[in-house]
Amino acid sequence: MEPLDLDLDHGEIELAAEPMLINVGPSHPAMHGTVRIVMELSGETIERCDVQVGYLHRGFEKMCERGTWTQVFPYVDRCNYVSPMLNNVGFALACEKMLGIEVPERCQWYRMILGELARIADHLTCDGAMVMELGAFTPFLWMVKTREMIWDVLEEETGARLTHSFGRVGGMAAPPTPGFKEHTRAVVDHVRRVLDEVKRLLLGNRIFLDRLEGVGVISPEDAVSLGWTGPALRGAGVAYDVRKASPYLKYGEVEFDVPVGTASDCFDRFMVRMEEMEQSSRIIDQCLERMADEGPINVDDPRVVLPPKDEVYSTIEGTIRHFKIVMEGLKLPAGEVYSYTEGGNGELGFYLVSDGSGTPWRVRIRPPCFFVTGGLERIITGQMVADVVPCFGSLNMIGGECDR
Amino acid sequence: MAKALVSLLEKQFPGAVLEAHSQHGDDTVVLDPARWKEVARFLRDSAGMEMLVDLTCVDWQHREPRFDVVAHLHSLSKGQRLRIKARVGDVEGEEAEIDSLTELWGSANWAEREAFDMFGVVFRGHPDLRRILTYPEFVGHALRKDYPADRIQPLVPYREVENIQKLPPFDQHEGMSFGRQTHDFSRGED
Amino acid sequence: MPTFKLDGREIPFEKGDSIIQAARRAGVDIPHYCWHPGLSVAANCRMCLVEMLPPPGRKPLLLDVLEWDAEKEDYVPAKKPKLVPACQQAAGEGMEVASDSSEHVARARAAVQELLLLNHPVDCPICDQAGECRLQDYWLEHQGTKKRMKDEIVHKPKGVVFGPTIVYDAERCIVCTRCVRFCEEVVKDPVLEKRERGNLSEITLAPGRELDHGYTLMTEYVCPVGALTARDFRFKARVWFLRSAQTVCTGCATGCNAFTDFDPRDQTVYRYRPRENMAVNRYWMCDDGMLDYRRIHENRVLEARVRGKKTSFEDALEKARGILAAAPAEQLGVVLSAQHSNEDNFAILRLCRDYLGTGHIYVSGRAQGLGDPVLKHADRNPNTAGVTALCTSTPPKTFSELAKDIHEGRITHVLSLGSYSSDAEKTDALTRLQGLVTLATHEGPLAKHATVVLPTSSWAECDGTFVNAKGMAQESEKAVAPRGHSEPAWRLAGHLARALGFPMAWTKLSQVRKAMAPEAGASVAMISGAEA
Repeated sequence: MEPLDLDLDHGEIELAAEPMLINVGPSHPAMHGTVRIVMELSGETIERCDVQVGYLHRGFEKMCERGTWTQVFPYVDRCNYVSPMLNNVGFALACEKMLGIEVPERCQWYRMILGELARIADHLTCDGAMVMELGAFTPFLWMVKTREMIWDVLEEETGARLTHSFGRVGGMAAPPTPGFKEHTRAVVDHVRRVLDEVKRLLLGNRIFLDRLEGVGVISPEDAVSLGWTGPALRGAGVAYDVRKASPYLKYGEVEFDVPVGTASDCFDRFMVRMEEMEQSSRIIDQCLERMADEGPINVDDPRVVLPPKDEVYSTIEGTIRHFKIVMEGLKLPAGEVYSYTEGGNGELGFYLVSDGSGTPWRVRIRPPCFFVTGGLERIITGQMVADVVPCFGSLNMIGGECDR
Repeated sequence: MAKALVSLLEKQFPGAVLEAHSQHGDDTVVLDPARWKEVARFLRDSAGMEMLVDLTCVDWQHREPRFDVVAHLHSLSKGQRLRIKARVGDVEGEEAEIDSLTELWGSANWAEREAFDMFGVVFRGHPDLRRILTYPEFVGHALRKDYPADRIQPLVPYREVENIQKLPPFDQHEGMSFGRQTHDFSRGED
Repeated sequence: MPTFKLDGREIPFEKGDSIIQAARRAGVDIPHYCWHPGLSVAANCRMCLVEMLPPPGRKPLLLDVLEWDAEKEDYVPAKKPKLVPACQQAAGEGMEVASDSSEHVARARAAVQELLLLNHPVDCPICDQAGECRLQDYWLEHQGTKKRMKDEIVHKPKGVVFGPTIVYDAERCIVCTRCVRFCEEVVKDPVLEKRERGNLSEITLAPGRELDHGYTLMTEYVCPVGALTARDFRFKARVWFLRSAQTVCTGCATGCNAFTDFDPRDQTVYRYRPRENMAVNRYWMCDDGMLDYRRIHENRVLEARVRGKKTSFEDALEKARGILAAAPAEQLGVVLSAQHSNEDNFAILRLCRDYLGTGHIYVSGRAQGLGDPVLKHADRNPNTAGVTALCTSTPPKTFSELAKDIHEGRITHVLSLGSYSSDAEKTDALTRLQGLVTLATHEGPLAKHATVVLPTSSWAECDGTFVNAKGMAQESEKAVAPRGHSEPAWRLAGHLARALGFPMAWTKLSQVRKAMAPEAGASVAMISGAEA
């Protein structure tokens, strides 16, 4: 390579002045679930950036239009795949809102417990992955180990660690297993212990705090305008939680607090999630206490719930019921509904449009992290490249939910 | 739940509210597409709708106007929600245009990009209306009812870049053969 | 118009209408099994029971019943109003009828449904009616509970062959007697009858007889359950995969309205069903017509041929162009097809008469058959009247006359739409032609002897208008995509015209229809105006 200063006048050094265009992702360890950020850098500072999503777009909303309402459950599972039970429950509630039915009480507690377990799993993954990308490998290991225990419970109940497809309109696919309560209590105990240990490891660490505090700040008004909900919004100081604002299932009857941040930076978002896990454990404890050990899980409506298998094979009514529900699908009345629950990342909404037949006309999944990722550009512009990692990590973009 | 708001809108914007109904606890108003932004601005400024929760479209094939542009608004301070709709587009899917709400809410930016990508509805005044979930060379609008779910997109040729030789993609006979499961066990000479 | 109230809604009726008939006309469905608008009233299923509210000032007619009281665990006397069957009760001015809004009616429907399913076999997975079965639909809508009988169901004969077209399953039968009434009233052949009583009832054939009249498939069509199944359709397709197109049967000149049921996944037509049209075929279709859907797939010409050898379309088109260009106009004959739609025939006529300048127009089609007093017409072609009308002043000559003209040397070249010949004896005349271009849908004499064969789409593969014997022009919808390399005849005519240098530029059917309107419309309206 020739010397830089050959053509220059003596004493003058020419340095490149144009911004450098670099490409982060889509195949990048810190880009959770494939996102591409094209950045224009001036030195280390990001002048402009373009966040490109869609690498995990699988056309779910189109696929939902080709089956029955029950066949949407596997699709919603694979949206936010770190907390799939919340998606299942959200969609089941949307269909039930349209039908005007309410599931039995035991099922409501059951859904809450499974949902909160999924939420804990989601936050463990988010916080764990974020700190790992900053260099703290040990908390990640502990948190993922705890997540494995949660998945053990879910596997016991639903048969799968991640893609349960367990929710059904009018109830759940199967009743709780006999050892459910003890197993869950043990896991929740462990979650509390791990949270404690992780906090002791991290919160006194100067490097950790410096990398997160004051980084990725957004004003509450901007956050609301951008459509942020969930921990990202609560980290910004806006106390909005769907479970408190419009309680569904039995959230109105359990006691829990909603952690809200003040500085609206990455550290606040991180801590909001840590505290939320503690609150979720509280909710689970209360639900376990109040959930009956016996009782129906599915609503008793032949239009909605499948009959027991032995009836299907031996009685004509069972066959007809099974046939109508499976082949023609649940007949949701014609119309539209928007139903929202608190997903792992915020307000998970389902806008369902039905034409009265068993096939959905339009299933719109309102993904909380789509809008949160829309704000990524805002919070990393002006920051340094290294700050992209905690910023992006604290937003918890789940590719499956963002792109569907 | 937002009945008072609906009647306020009807009084404030006579002629803009074409229909209003309430179903399953949700309140909906159908607006004239020409007054879309005006009513939305009023809702944000005077009715306290700080958040545009979602903006999407519904394709009613064979109906004219074909698309319903649906926006869900939420007032965090008042705890109220409202769904506003506007009907655009002809039966072929052309002329589906409506004003962009990006000036009013930041969440409209990506939501409208997605609606454009999936339905082909053009949002006038959007700062950066390009595809978001599919790649730029994608042909068609995926969520339209006349887009067949099993359509195969044309192959995108490699972009021309100077001085870089692009190798053609692997042939079916190249690459790692042990990864391929076949029932074709040709033994050769035995 | 006089009206009565049904669930608070005013329903207009004509004198003599029953409640269910008037409701049907207004678009309100009262559940029923044994009633059919085209048959007499039997009132044996009791599903259409409705509550008639008493006239003002009068007490309702209440019956003493015993009801099971779950708390007391015993029967207690109660009263319930007497319900009337809506199919039998004549509508009267000012009546107040409660159907969906009455709780007694809801209980009655659930009870009737339970009774009908009491001895019903668990056959849904193998029953052809699944997906269009009233038992399934009404169970979900009106019952939803399990039956209370714990015993084994009554077993009856299954898979009884009634005839060459129909199989009967006595266990599935609810003995609504629709099939019995149909054979007696519409076909005037009382071959079916109900035998035995109570839960042993079943349908049986008259002694020594088979179900072999010309309308047997209609018994399958009226059967609301899977008791009567068509041997032709059995186990072939599941109805929820089928889509329906509104078409016209092309089996004869009656032009019965039909539904063509096809599977869009493999573009195969599986059956016809009759479509209601009071002016043409009322509710029915004959067996020949029902089975005519087979011609959509059988014996088709799907590739272009030159002198019997398969070739590319461009090649064949070029050869055809050569033949038509070389043919002197006074010696060119054009054979229209009574099997093809108005649009197809018009396109060929426009090409030959107006551009190529020939005056020798013939019409061919399928040979005459036997008609019957119910529906079937002796003319086995759907569009004879249409073709005649398109030829305006001079009616087209017959195939026999074409054969004569060829023998006498007046015709040396022929462009034929369709390959059927209405006179089988005279087809050898075709061998004497110098050039024969056939736009063929099926194999036939005109395709066999053709120099060039261009594959043409059948009636199910494009929209078309057919004029029936009464002069009514009816539109038939496209069902499946054109098979093989076939194209609609009007489009082929366009290709030929362009190849020959004529400005026949249409590419869409709507353009053909617009061009056709002033010519065909006037004469067709003239005919239909007389009859309608």
